[in-house]
Amino acid sequence: MTFVQALVLALLQGTSELFPVSSLGHTILVPALLQWRNIDRSSPGFLAFVVVLHLGTAIALVVFYWREWVAIVRAVVASIVRGRLSNERNERTGWLLVVATIPVGILGVIFEHPVRRLFGSPAPAATFLILNGLMMFGGEALRRMQHRAAARPDKPIERLSFPAALFVGLAQGLALLPGISRSGSSMVAGVLCDLDHEDAARFSFLLATPVIGAAALLEMPKLFAPEAHVVLIQALVGGLVAGIAAYCSVAFLTRYFRSNDLRPFGWYCIVVGAVCLALARKGVIT
Amino acid sequence: MLLAVVFFILGILYGLGTINFFTESGPGHAHHVSHLVICWVLALLCLIWARFQTAPRR
Repeated sequence: MTFVQALVLALLQGTSELFPVSSLGHTILVPALLQWRNIDRSSPGFLAFVVVLHLGTAIALVVFYWREWVAIVRAVVASIVRGRLSNERNERTGWLLVVATIPVGILGVIFEHPVRRLFGSPAPAATFLILNGLMMFGGEALRRMQHRAAARPDKPIERLSFPAALFVGLAQGLALLPGISRSGSSMVAGVLCDLDHEDAARFSFLLATPVIGAAALLEMPKLFAPEAHVVLIQALVGGLVAGIAAYCSVAFLTRYFRSNDLRPFGWYCIVVGAVCLALARKGVIT
Repeated sequence: MLLAVVFFILGILYGLGTINFFTESGPGHAHHVSHLVICWVLALLCLIWARFQTAPRR
């Protein structure tokens, strides 16, 4: 892997991890489109590189939301010490995040490797990217129908029920499929549970921190593989670039979702997915 | 509490490689470690849940 390739992949990971466009799908499709045949995605060096990119992204999220995380962790620890749940905003948000993290943790541990082996090539990734776009359009349409039919007001994150948090967590599990976005699926689930777009995005990004961080920490041993040192500099610079890209992305998206919805990303996924699927079927990308 | 003990023991069994449900065959030691970790996290959550059920009410 060259230095330029490492930088492009880092930028791609940091950005697409938080934009609802599937980072996993993009890290399969973009190298295939650019004909980067020198990258062996299963080599210990590349796996170590990916671990550092994820760590960079998780650290960026912690930095962006550090005040909220401090308040949430304090409130959750206080509730454990007290032995009682209350409706305090940070405490409830913390426990909702715990509940939503459980399904994705279990699904990830059980299905991640088989799913990537089955679908980790451009054609399935492009197909799932199209489905990701359709899911966002479907989610937005359902939300409008719900609001039109029942005139339901949006509610803040802390008013979410625990079953609703579980639903968001299960939806996030769909992102094991390359092409389905983690933030996209959790945001669609969030808006269907009556969160507005801004709160759905915030819940999704808060939820991303333990998921991405834990995945990176579990894969940490790969950093110490003898072959990993070959890409040490690329990995360190890549982690920094991914972190900066993730920070800028989350800063942009939190503003964007104050007054916009998921449909532009839906269009992007459908168009890019359709082009890549056509190229894959013609054998241009493999 | 019982569930916490079950998950804790399951975690140990995954760590030792004694059980292989939902794991990949072959040289997947790191994969077993992730099963161990998730089992112990679930055990911890069960303990916290038990604490919420049994803590004295004021």
